[in-house]
Amino acid sequence: MTIIEIDNLKFSYLGQTETALEIEHLSISEGESVLITGKSGSGKSTLIQCINGIIPHVTAGKLTGNVRLKGEDVSEMTVAKISTIVGTLLQDPERQVLNYKVVEEIAFGPENLNCTHDEIEKRIQAATERTGIEDLMERDTDTLSGGEMQRVALTSVMAMEPEILVLDEPTSNIDPEGTEKIFQFLHQQKGVKTLIVVEHKVERALRFVDRIIVIDNGRIVLDIPKENMLEMVHTLLEKGIEIPEEFLYASKMGLKSADIETVREEIQREGITLHSHARRRGGDLVLEAQSKVEVPERIIVDAELKARKGTVVAIMGKNGAGKSTLLKAMLGLINKNQFTSSSSIKIDKVDLSESDISRRGAYISYLPQSFDLMLINRTVEREVKYSMRKRGIRNDELLQTIFEIFELYEIRAADPLRLSMGQRRRVSMAAILASEVRIVLMDEPTSGQDFYHKDLMGKELRKITDMGYTVIVVTHDGRFVYRYADELAIMHEGRIVFHGIPEEGFEISEQYGILPPSDHLLRRHEKNLEVE
Amino acid sequence: MNYIIDAIISWLIFLFGVAAPFYLILGVIGIGGFREITKYEVYNSFYYKLNPAIKILFSVVVMIIASMVIWWISALLAIVILLSYTSLRNGRRKAFIGSMFLLSVIIGTTWSYAPLTPPAILSIAFPHQTTFLDLWKWPSYFAIMGYQPYLTLQGLIYGVQISFRFAAVTIAALILVMTTTPSQILKALHKLRIPDPIVFSLMVAMKSVPMVFESLDTSVKLQMLRGLGSDRSKYLKPIFMLIAGLSAIVPTIVHLMRGAKDIAISADTRGFRAYNRRTYFVDIPMTRTDYYMVGLFLAGIGVAGIMLALGFGRAIPYIS
Repeated sequence: MTIIEIDNLKFSYLGQTETALEIEHLSISEGESVLITGKSGSGKSTLIQCINGIIPHVTAGKLTGNVRLKGEDVSEMTVAKISTIVGTLLQDPERQVLNYKVVEEIAFGPENLNCTHDEIEKRIQAATERTGIEDLMERDTDTLSGGEMQRVALTSVMAMEPEILVLDEPTSNIDPEGTEKIFQFLHQQKGVKTLIVVEHKVERALRFVDRIIVIDNGRIVLDIPKENMLEMVHTLLEKGIEIPEEFLYASKMGLKSADIETVREEIQREGITLHSHARRRGGDLVLEAQSKVEVPERIIVDAELKARKGTVVAIMGKNGAGKSTLLKAMLGLINKNQFTSSSSIKIDKVDLSESDISRRGAYISYLPQSFDLMLINRTVEREVKYSMRKRGIRNDELLQTIFEIFELYEIRAADPLRLSMGQRRRVSMAAILASEVRIVLMDEPTSGQDFYHKDLMGKELRKITDMGYTVIVVTHDGRFVYRYADELAIMHEGRIVFHGIPEEGFEISEQYGILPPSDHLLRRHEKNLEVE
Repeated sequence: MNYIIDAIISWLIFLFGVAAPFYLILGVIGIGGFREITKYEVYNSFYYKLNPAIKILFSVVVMIIASMVIWWISALLAIVILLSYTSLRNGRRKAFIGSMFLLSVIIGTTWSYAPLTPPAILSIAFPHQTTFLDLWKWPSYFAIMGYQPYLTLQGLIYGVQISFRFAAVTIAALILVMTTTPSQILKALHKLRIPDPIVFSLMVAMKSVPMVFESLDTSVKLQMLRGLGSDRSKYLKPIFMLIAGLSAIVPTIVHLMRGAKDIAISADTRGFRAYNRRTYFVDIPMTRTDYYMVGLFLAGIGVAGIMLALGFGRAIPYIS
């Protein structure tokens, strides 16, 4: 039975002339699991907002055509009524959890539906059993890790007992372990609920979806059963979708399965050589940092980190492992009223241990996860020049190089805050590099970025390390690390438990909640490791 | 020469009123400190156990009393409430931040009133005094800003008195924010029949206040890292923090607005406002202590009323 039916849908956002979404026909059957994928800004979120009634009920714009849920037109239903049919989980858990206590958060939806105390209790119990968060029930939401918080948000959606579950990039802000738990849950729900998942990590979603829909420029450009994916990998790649290497090789070799072991055996049988990624040893030691951050109950960070000139050092670890805190301790950004901290830091042999933020900033630059907060100027050009001006630097050559690397010439007169997420990230990067500071710390820059933008960023990092910059990047993206990092540091419970080349790190990473990327798994027995 | 010295002293006095509150707010309390006194933290002392409705009522009662009675009763009330901060989690630190905040309110308000209040108003406030003690004569061009010709002792006293009317209420209201979760407030206000859209806006605002300070703090620190004020004296730090704080407003608002849309979607897609009424899974009952507090509030207002009727402690004139 068809549960969602879309006909001649056309939507443009208020004040914009171009059409954000145009769908001639789309139908989804009850119990079906659908993956919706595409580049950032392609229209995926717009489509799901048409399904869950946010468009037209909350977000204004010009809408024609119709979306029907169980035969009823969404535009004629109230959001409240829709919410009993469609449950929606968003990308960022911190932006959707409203309540202080976990139990209050889960009860929020049923309370809105005027359920009785017994009914709410029944729903809470059923939802928590399904998502497996019984152990979190007594916790306060602001003490949860990103992964835990997302599972609480998911449970609160499940407590609405929706027939359709819509998940908009549910794992892009959480660690691999949290991601795995969400996907395990979705796997269990396959066939039980109608699932619509917007996700960049195609290969992870494959185990529970029946169908893949690719959206590009607001239109459905591919709508295929999962089984046909191998035949269409190159089309998907052309549309900017992240395709793991095993799928590409499986397609190339005409295999029916993209199972890593099968593909690797076939590669060896056919004598294909897989090129490993070059790792740099780097130049002189430019960063030596030792940090200890603690609260009375526990040590949050007790770690030592070193980096060499011209290298990319990735820091990985579960949510709450202390990665971001380590970066903040190095920068002197730890709140002394909340934490006890001590740190020693040497950059290029200059001891900055006693220096304040401002002086440290002359040696280290920082790109936080919420990089929008550094965009304070009215134009891109002024934003990039700001750091130079404040540090008294005149270097037109560097400015020109930065504008070229980050492709900013065309948008130099634009307001940074009005740009797309990818562009804003590039402006922020350019702005911190313009200060001629050679050590760059980046906190989860891959979070929420699609394959195209992550790839672009990786190449940019390569270019700036060629120029002698050293980059320390905190990320959950194993594939990004495998492709672009020279060294991997694994953090666990505040300590760095491994620091070396990614190939060695990913051999032991699973015990610390970090899944090795398939690029590594395909090459794990290769001996042709390149080191520059 | 005297004219130049007079002008310099006048501007220094003027700047003290502007800079001192900013210094206290940015240099001593800091954005992090503001985050601490606007955020709920789990604890189990007296205020945390009170029903949120009682805490809302507490602010209202303090406001009523502070507006009715003579200034020193308001001042006493503000100091007593401030001392009670020590019972909160990290109480001493919160009391310190609260006292600095109180001081900034007093200085800021006093400087806003003292030089601008005309003698006619001071005559009402100080009915037994026929002359006022001139402390400083402002340059004539200060009249453009609305300044009176002289800064008087009575003007300063009047400013301090006025400031305590604001201070007591502000210090009391912060207790609600520091000791109550947003969802507890939602329940309390809902029971008080406040319309849900207003209640929800308040709830989101309460959730957002610490985030506002956190975002501002991050933005300010990012500007410092990029070199703002790096080549200047550390004594000028509060001024650069102020500049950074002003520059941080737009990116902070944009950042929060992007998040606010998700909050609205998250609530709407979970049936918020589906019906005129909603149920509550975890109820917050009125305890015996809450009823005692109501009694105390009524007694407080009653005593204030009786004293006023007897002519003791009236708000106007300000000095009896």
